[in-house]
Amino acid sequence: MKTDRRNFIKGLGGALTLPFLESTAFAGQKSATRFLVVGNPFGMHPEHFFPKDFGKDFTVSRTLKSLDWVKDRTTVLSHTDHNMVSGHGREVAFLSGVLPTDAQAFPEKNMSVDQAVARHTGAQVRYPSLNVGLNSGVRMSWTANGVENELITDPEKLFDHLFLNLTEKEKEQRRQMLSRNGSILDTVGDQFADVIKNGSKSDAERIDQYQTSVRELEATLANRTHWIGLDKPEFDISDHYSGEVTIENEYNAIFDMISFAFETDLTRVATVAFPTNLGYTDVPGVTRSYHGCTHNGKMEDVTDELVAIESFQVQQLSRCMQKLDSIPEPNAEGSMLDHTVVLFGSGMGYGGTHSNRDLPIFVAGGGFKHLGHVDTRNDAGENMPLCNLYLTLMQRFGMERDEFNISTGAFDLSYA
Amino acid sequence: MRKFQSTAKNPILMGVGLNRVRSVIVPCWVMMSTLFGPVGMADQALMKEHCFDCHSADKTKGKFELSFLGDGPDVDNLERWLDCLDLVTAEEMPPEDDSHLAAPDREKIIAYLDEKVRAFEKSANLTSSPKPRRLNNREFANGVRDVLLLEDIGTNLPMDNLIGDALHHGFDTHGDTLSFSRFHLEQYVEAVRKVVDATVFSGERPESKRYEIPAERIFRQQLSQNNSRAIEKGENGVFDFLDPKLAGYFPDFEEAPASGRYSIKISCMGKDRGIYDVEETGYYHDDPVQLSVHMGDRVKTFDLPDEKVIELELDEWIDAGTRVEMHFPTDAYTIRGNGNFKFQYGITPTHLKKYDPERYDELVSAIEKSPGRNKRKRIDTWHNWTDYWMGARPQVFSVEIEGPLYEAWPPKRQVALLGDSPVAANAADILRPIANRAWRRPVKDGELEKIVDMVKEEAKTMGDIVALKEGIVAVLVSPAFLMANLEANEPASRFASKLSFFLESTIPDQELRDEVGAGKLDSFEAVQKLIQSEIEKGTADTFLREFPFAWLELNDINFMGPDPEHYRFYHKKRLSEDMVDEVLEFFRYAVTENRPVPELLSADYSFINADLAKIYGVEDVPGDSKFRRYTFKDGRRGGLLGMGAFLTSTADSLATSPIHRAVYVMENMMGIHPTPPPPNVVIKEPDVRKASTIKEILAAHVSDENCASCHEAIDPWGYAFENFDPTGAWRDVYVVPVILETDENGDPIPSKKKDVTIPIDSSAKFRNGFKYQDITEFRNEILTDTNRDRFVKCFIEKLLTYANGAEPEESDFVAIDDILTKSAEHDYRIVETIAAVVNSPLFRGK
Repeated sequence: MKTDRRNFIKGLGGALTLPFLESTAFAGQKSATRFLVVGNPFGMHPEHFFPKDFGKDFTVSRTLKSLDWVKDRTTVLSHTDHNMVSGHGREVAFLSGVLPTDAQAFPEKNMSVDQAVARHTGAQVRYPSLNVGLNSGVRMSWTANGVENELITDPEKLFDHLFLNLTEKEKEQRRQMLSRNGSILDTVGDQFADVIKNGSKSDAERIDQYQTSVRELEATLANRTHWIGLDKPEFDISDHYSGEVTIENEYNAIFDMISFAFETDLTRVATVAFPTNLGYTDVPGVTRSYHGCTHNGKMEDVTDELVAIESFQVQQLSRCMQKLDSIPEPNAEGSMLDHTVVLFGSGMGYGGTHSNRDLPIFVAGGGFKHLGHVDTRNDAGENMPLCNLYLTLMQRFGMERDEFNISTGAFDLSYA
Repeated sequence: MRKFQSTAKNPILMGVGLNRVRSVIVPCWVMMSTLFGPVGMADQALMKEHCFDCHSADKTKGKFELSFLGDGPDVDNLERWLDCLDLVTAEEMPPEDDSHLAAPDREKIIAYLDEKVRAFEKSANLTSSPKPRRLNNREFANGVRDVLLLEDIGTNLPMDNLIGDALHHGFDTHGDTLSFSRFHLEQYVEAVRKVVDATVFSGERPESKRYEIPAERIFRQQLSQNNSRAIEKGENGVFDFLDPKLAGYFPDFEEAPASGRYSIKISCMGKDRGIYDVEETGYYHDDPVQLSVHMGDRVKTFDLPDEKVIELELDEWIDAGTRVEMHFPTDAYTIRGNGNFKFQYGITPTHLKKYDPERYDELVSAIEKSPGRNKRKRIDTWHNWTDYWMGARPQVFSVEIEGPLYEAWPPKRQVALLGDSPVAANAADILRPIANRAWRRPVKDGELEKIVDMVKEEAKTMGDIVALKEGIVAVLVSPAFLMANLEANEPASRFASKLSFFLESTIPDQELRDEVGAGKLDSFEAVQKLIQSEIEKGTADTFLREFPFAWLELNDINFMGPDPEHYRFYHKKRLSEDMVDEVLEFFRYAVTENRPVPELLSADYSFINADLAKIYGVEDVPGDSKFRRYTFKDGRRGGLLGMGAFLTSTADSLATSPIHRAVYVMENMMGIHPTPPPPNVVIKEPDVRKASTIKEILAAHVSDENCASCHEAIDPWGYAFENFDPTGAWRDVYVVPVILETDENGDPIPSKKKDVTIPIDSSAKFRNGFKYQDITEFRNEILTDTNRDRFVKCFIEKLLTYANGAEPEESDFVAIDDILTKSAEHDYRIVETIAAVVNSPLFRGK
């Protein structure tokens, strides 16, 4: 299944000139700007995922081999969890720590961390977030209303979504809707303006809040009308389909489109969800099903297949990170990777034991002062809630908050 | 960004949301001598004699100095005065151990403090007036429904995109917490447009069609990650509900093609009820088999007869794009394994071996002969028994859907809204009554002008109907609709609105507005009658549900739920839902029967079903899921303080905390707001793996004198409940649990390790000398006159918070006391107490 990798990627780096940047960039921004999340459904074989030693100079484990190049910009977290009972089905809480069935107990329901960040960064770009899978994907991205985000599960559809322009008729319809909303705001915006002017004490404050909202919304309507008129950046996908269709090629296409969408500022938040039911047999050495490999009864050959699948997943991400690292961040020091928070993990610890403790998690890039391999347990030997890490990541985006679902504090990861 | 209110879970955060700033006060006792006029001289000396030893600049126990009371009550120190009054009245100050204040002297001090506070409030005229607030999502949805004269907002989930409301100590009506942003505004526009689009049509009448759906065309929803599996569907004329998590849907009727009435007929029956043991299935034999029809978020549930086919008939307005599904509503079939349905198949061999060994042998040999079975597994493992399920369940044989049907075109509800002549030229006349409802007041001259102009302008390009719809959207996203308690409104409009949002969470109807306008609700008696009749008619049901839910912070019940490995029953039978229902049933009973407010605490009864009976350790209840009144004979339970909802939501997952429970009781029952510990205090987390009791852990903490003075006041409110474990079940000893490993089926693997047990000490002593040995004594004696008044006052304050969208201020003390007096005149009856709140200036406004 080996294809000529060089030929495959050519369409991107070489052929393209400096990409057109969609939004008005981020000059002087100190926070992280982008968020890339990759998740899988069955966790990771722990002995091969977690490095044997701790600290900055840790020995890269077998599954994480492809991250060797970026080891000093990576933090692998041992002993985190969401305090979930064992078994499948809890992995849907990967990015929130809250099961859909418990969502009502939380004001932000089971909103996942990617969506929390997207709400913070999304207003400035065409797409607040991008949620991608292949064939399908583990369910992990949920809105503040506890609604699952629909995945784009086909690279071609992803291409259409990101890069295909609307027809003139469609553009016209969108424009009309935005203009209708504009007219409505126009008629209601200054109801009670006299109340504010005449200073009726307690009304004024809340009505002012309303009017501010009207003004802000009007501004974004104008902004969005602007997006409709603008053509999207051009992306040449043809090379990605010139070779054999393997899952590696498809993931290459997906990750290339994501990094290009980052580069052109189409979006600042992307999630890639690995599915349960994908045939990994074109990965060298893999003959069994993914789920089957997790129940390996500790047989070495089956375990090797599982590790091959898991390493493949990490490789795809590593390749994308390499790409981001080759692009200088516009208007700032460092590469795009240094401004992109990368999160990899699963809401399941390890499929073989159905354990949902000790989740396999690493964070890379994002300008953090990375710690290598960390044991996150406290003095009492208890695992750290994974939400603590999410809180830290949100703070990295300049979000002023000190709690996220079941967090008990922030994970200590500083940045320059 | 909205933040989660962690309330009592984190002691550091306790009370932070109360905005009670302890201000810096003149630090000099000497000033006191100049402060009190001749009236107070004697009492001042009394206070100095009894308080100064502990509350001077040298020794500020409880972080309080007498000098904090300053030059008589003022805006800044009023709370101090009220705290003193409360503590001296409750005989908690001076503490019994340190001082002997004779009763007449205590009376003198109380009278003095009370008089000072009242005099100050009278002169300062501080009665607060709550700010307007955004409608919360419930009120918004109900309001849109009633403005548009609809039965409900529609089945196409028009409100689904709204940002969830944040809560403030359980309240979703809290003005400062209900934020407003451009996101909200945009989502309101979208949501209203969606409802209006499904209400007003501009096109041709859609064709009606009949869909005849045999069992073979009913598909089982795939919820698994594995979507390559073949789609499961009905076979041999039967669609069988096995896993209750899976719904049946119709590929031939994926969603309603157009909004309109649909006739739905379902041929179905209940199957196999009462065969398996309840202990195995969690399904009570006396619970009928049910089938629910889901149309978007509208759910209709039916009891099915056993083994007898019936035809259910539904006639429903369903909106375009709505998915119709059938569900089997039950909390059963989760007992085995990790709760996934497949493990329940293993019940069949257990059952047959016990009751029908012949059949068991027969099936075993059939299974052994069948090809493809995994022979390495035990014969009784669930894989082998998937074809022989005999659990109670619904079966559906066929479904018939017909629609959309209309009694006229355009439909009646459209004509009701737009009249006979829906043209832009009539925009003002069409929109005025809509705006009158939406804005809860008469529309002022010129107020609709801009919207009418917009409609006329838009009509030129979009046509009359579409333009009128835009006009309706504008009316419903204007601040006059979205904001409650606007001062700019006339007092009558404001009161009618407030009353309607209080009882029904929606806009007032014309009748109520007329009555208020005519002055017919100006008296306590009239308000009492109205509330009574709303309760009887069922129109106050929203209040009966939403108020206790907010007050008792029921939303938090699973915030830190009991540990799922150790308290499996709680999770498997979804006990938290039963616990919430228990509170709501109890509260509804208390209000409809108009019981006295203190009975909410003192009652020896509650409302329980078979699942709760299991947690509460009582056996003489029928075996089903229905809630019935039950009187507890052991003196341990009954009323709000014996309920799982309170005991669970105040516990951690493996351990209980007397502090969390104490703070809950103080804040939500007694209206006392304990001062949060200083930020530098490090509180050791209880460690359930070690053999030490919470009392020992706290003893170490409390050995610090600074901590001790507060904990003396807090802890006795919590120790009484130590005999209740994290699920609210009774325990005589602490158990340090051994958590079992689980096997591949998710079943626990037996282990020889034994749980360690430690005796429980649930006794404590209040500062006023009241001691109790255990929960029974606590319950018998806690409701002194002082604590009864505290509780009723707290109930009043919570009602005001719910109604006003803001907590009452210290300066509302006198007005609240007046409500208490009114309540007492009526033996604290709930309805009269609520009426006194509504009739108070704190509700009506100045």
